[in-house]
Amino acid sequence: MAAVQDGGSELESEKEPQPELLNDGSAAPAAAPTSKLEEQQTLLAVLQFLKRNKLTEAVDALRREAGLSDEPEEAPGSEAGGGGGAAPGSSDRTDASSLLSRVSAASQSAAAPAPAKGGEDQPDVSVVLSAYSQQGDPSLYQVYYSGLKKFIESVLDCHRAELSQLFYPLFVHMYLELVYNNHESEAKAFFDKFSGDQECYYLDYLRVLSSLTKKEHMKGNEMLLDFRTSRFVLRISRDSYQLLKRHLQERQNNQIWNIIQEHLYIDIFDGMPRSKSQIDSMSGSLAGEAKRDDNKTKVFYGLLKEPEIEVPLDDEDEEAENEEGKPKKKKPKKDSMGSKSKKQDPNAPQQNRIPLPELKDSDKLDKIMYLKEATKRIRLGPESLPSICFYTFLNAYQGLTAVDFTDDSSLLAGGFADSTVRVWSVTPKKLRKVKSAADLSLIDKESDDVLERIMDEKTASECKVLYGHSGPVYGVSFSPDRNYLLSSSEDGTVRLWSLQTFTCLVAYKGHNYPVWDTQFSPYGYYFVSGGHDRVARLWATDHYQPLRMFAGHLADITCTRFHPNSNYVATGSADRTIRLWDVLNGHCVRIFTGHKGPIHTLAFSPNGKYLASGSTDGRVLLWDIGHGLMISELKGHTDTVYALKFSRDGEILASGSMDNTVRLWDAIKAFDDVETDDFTAATGHVHLADNSQEVLLGTFLTKSTPVIHLHFTRRNLLLSAGAYNSQ
Amino acid sequence: MASPKTVPKDAQVMMQILKDMGITEYEPRVINQMLEFTYRYVTTIIEDAKIYATHAKKSTVDADDIRLAIQCRMDQSFTSPPPRDFLLDVARQKNQTPLPLIKPYAGPRLPPDRYCLTAPNYRLKSLQKKVSSSAGRITVPRLSVGAVSSRPSTPTLGTPSVQTMGNKVGTPVSLTGQRFTVQIPSSQAASVKTATPTTPGTVQNVLINPSLIGSKNILITTNMVSQNSSSDSSGSLKRKHEDDDDYDAL
Repeated sequence: MAAVQDGGSELESEKEPQPELLNDGSAAPAAAPTSKLEEQQTLLAVLQFLKRNKLTEAVDALRREAGLSDEPEEAPGSEAGGGGGAAPGSSDRTDASSLLSRVSAASQSAAAPAPAKGGEDQPDVSVVLSAYSQQGDPSLYQVYYSGLKKFIESVLDCHRAELSQLFYPLFVHMYLELVYNNHESEAKAFFDKFSGDQECYYLDYLRVLSSLTKKEHMKGNEMLLDFRTSRFVLRISRDSYQLLKRHLQERQNNQIWNIIQEHLYIDIFDGMPRSKSQIDSMSGSLAGEAKRDDNKTKVFYGLLKEPEIEVPLDDEDEEAENEEGKPKKKKPKKDSMGSKSKKQDPNAPQQNRIPLPELKDSDKLDKIMYLKEATKRIRLGPESLPSICFYTFLNAYQGLTAVDFTDDSSLLAGGFADSTVRVWSVTPKKLRKVKSAADLSLIDKESDDVLERIMDEKTASECKVLYGHSGPVYGVSFSPDRNYLLSSSEDGTVRLWSLQTFTCLVAYKGHNYPVWDTQFSPYGYYFVSGGHDRVARLWATDHYQPLRMFAGHLADITCTRFHPNSNYVATGSADRTIRLWDVLNGHCVRIFTGHKGPIHTLAFSPNGKYLASGSTDGRVLLWDIGHGLMISELKGHTDTVYALKFSRDGEILASGSMDNTVRLWDAIKAFDDVETDDFTAATGHVHLADNSQEVLLGTFLTKSTPVIHLHFTRRNLLLSAGAYNSQ
Repeated sequence: MASPKTVPKDAQVMMQILKDMGITEYEPRVINQMLEFTYRYVTTIIEDAKIYATHAKKSTVDADDIRLAIQCRMDQSFTSPPPRDFLLDVARQKNQTPLPLIKPYAGPRLPPDRYCLTAPNYRLKSLQKKVSSSAGRITVPRLSVGAVSSRPSTPTLGTPSVQTMGNKVGTPVSLTGQRFTVQIPSSQAASVKTATPTTPGTVQNVLINPSLIGSKNILITTNMVSQNSSSDSSGSLKRKHEDDDDYDAL
């Protein structure tokens, strides 16, 4: 404190009171002209400081001497020194809190604009005087964080797992605040010290964070911007929460408390604290877990009633009625044919909840075919596994990006990275275009085989190429009546192609960014698409603008699927959550968290009750839609799961992955182990049985061909597709 | 991967970037793509900055120009999707309208024609050589049927002879009709085929290139021997009896 200063070096000192200058008064004026402005600023800053600390005599002295040089006489050096010494680097908690209070007081009274400019030369002055958007000395963030860490380590075991959930969101928010306020070096130091402590499944996000060092970087990264503005949800039991609250408030660690209040949402539940494994199974997503309220809406997961079809053949009647009764939940009406139409499944939506297209004659014929095929269906189970037929795309040079089969497995479509869509006929029947208008007027419209006559034999071929997109095609979907094909691409459009003329009919523009997936509704007419703009859109083929927009995800939507009753849409996203949306009003009715990687595939069970999802972490998770719970996880794949399909009756779940295997799982067994008592339903804490090995029925390897798509034919033969990868 | 000695420095920088971002598996072409992109981006920015500097009448390009250039390019090509609150707002508005009812018996359900791609994007130009509909003027210059072995003196279905034949037939040949047959009298056929063995009763159908006469098909039925269906009618499209090609008596 007694350091001798002259005009220049005095600026570097840490709030050393200026009385020492008295010794070098001669030197000061000499230096004054060169650094006059800075001295003025420093002067004013020191003046304010002394005033605040009620060092009136020092203030007077300073004022008196102000014009001459900078030295008030004597300030009680100890106080000033003590105050100055509490600046950066101190790890003493009491000083920290006092500095904190002073900082907050100072930032409110930072009315002196000029002294603020002297900030560069006197870091602590700038700290005191510049206006922050939030409180807190950046260099103290490390202190706060390690303080919290110490506390949590000292707490009882049962609470520790729950409170450890706080580490990740606090870490990210503190880091982002440091970056946002341009404290690069402190941010880097903070990151280096504490990033290694975080959970392994956050590694990807941490890597993204590490590349974000300046405020400008944040502007383009909408995922992190959303993270900053949305609230990270944590589920903590009441006891643990009380502990935490008490600790933070008695410590006066207001900074952490502020962050918690502003950026975190703590969903408190009454009951036993959760174990580490339970927490791990549900966390991993970008926004924490789902609030309990999010999963409370009633979801109509039952199937719609099949319409009555007068089947022309006589002994089909019995099977027809039985087939219609089959998908319902435990309907005891295989005998009576009349009463069926009266009773309504309580879990099924009304027939007219959303408008659906009426059945045309061709649709009715299709349905009859479907019922006939269904009678010949093989019943699958652990003893009788399906045969698997694999369609390998050769010479695609890693360009195959999407595959779809029609429901009756007669056509196969492939979307490619060279922006073409190719349609193949899987059966010996070739693909034909409709004749031109001139030729059509020549044919006899009354003849029985008019549907064959309208086809032009000259154009018969096994494969048709559809040109039109200007970017790789990432999603393809056939319509249920086999008349249309949808394709979604990186150019931001979704195109509707006619399979009669093999030309493009409509290009739906709405997403301006790559559209990663699209799917027709099981009844046709509606389709859903989701892409990079984090919004899924519901369209109808005869509207050029979307009917519904499902916004809420924090990152790209990678997978979109319709529920079998067409009333709900499930979307899987790169933010590691799955959301279930109601088509009627666009609300998000379920949020499922638990995956540790972006979700690439979804599959609804044929009875509509369950949802299966696969992601880059290689796990397949099963969800109960009605209760909103995770039922089980199927571990086995070692690489991204790209394809999931339930068998026609829901007994077997097939999964295909980048690790070149197709695995079959016993779905009935996996669903049997669900415990749905009141507690688990209320809190969502299901204990997952680790039965992956028993549930796995078989693993089938391909020859270095990743499996992209799976499809069960109507008779329960499994078809799969992928492109041969020679590496 | 090429050994570090032979890899240029820029490529090494790219490999280091990929390593820092945690990407371990990538095709070797990715480095080239990154280098191309970097080069293109940097030159675009610097060119833009130069334009801004000259516009501000500065002699050298300075940091402000670069900053402005980056800002403008960012708004143009590297746009990012709209922020979440905006999307939620728009979605709420859109989701309030009830789903429209579906009209029954509507045929293919497509948006209004303006929004579809089904309109023709070409127009037909009218032909210069209008073929008139006067009787007998059938121009089929490139067809000769079955008379290859005969000497040219015998009438072949060339341009002039058809006319005469048509005249002989006397049937009013109208091009505006859709299909018509020109019956060549068997007597004449017999005279043609003196040199060749006759196989009576074979009828040969030949389809003449329709583009010459418009879009109508003209079917010319002759009673000539089918064996010598020559292949020198290079312009004709299809022969219904493909096996006749085997009997090329040329």
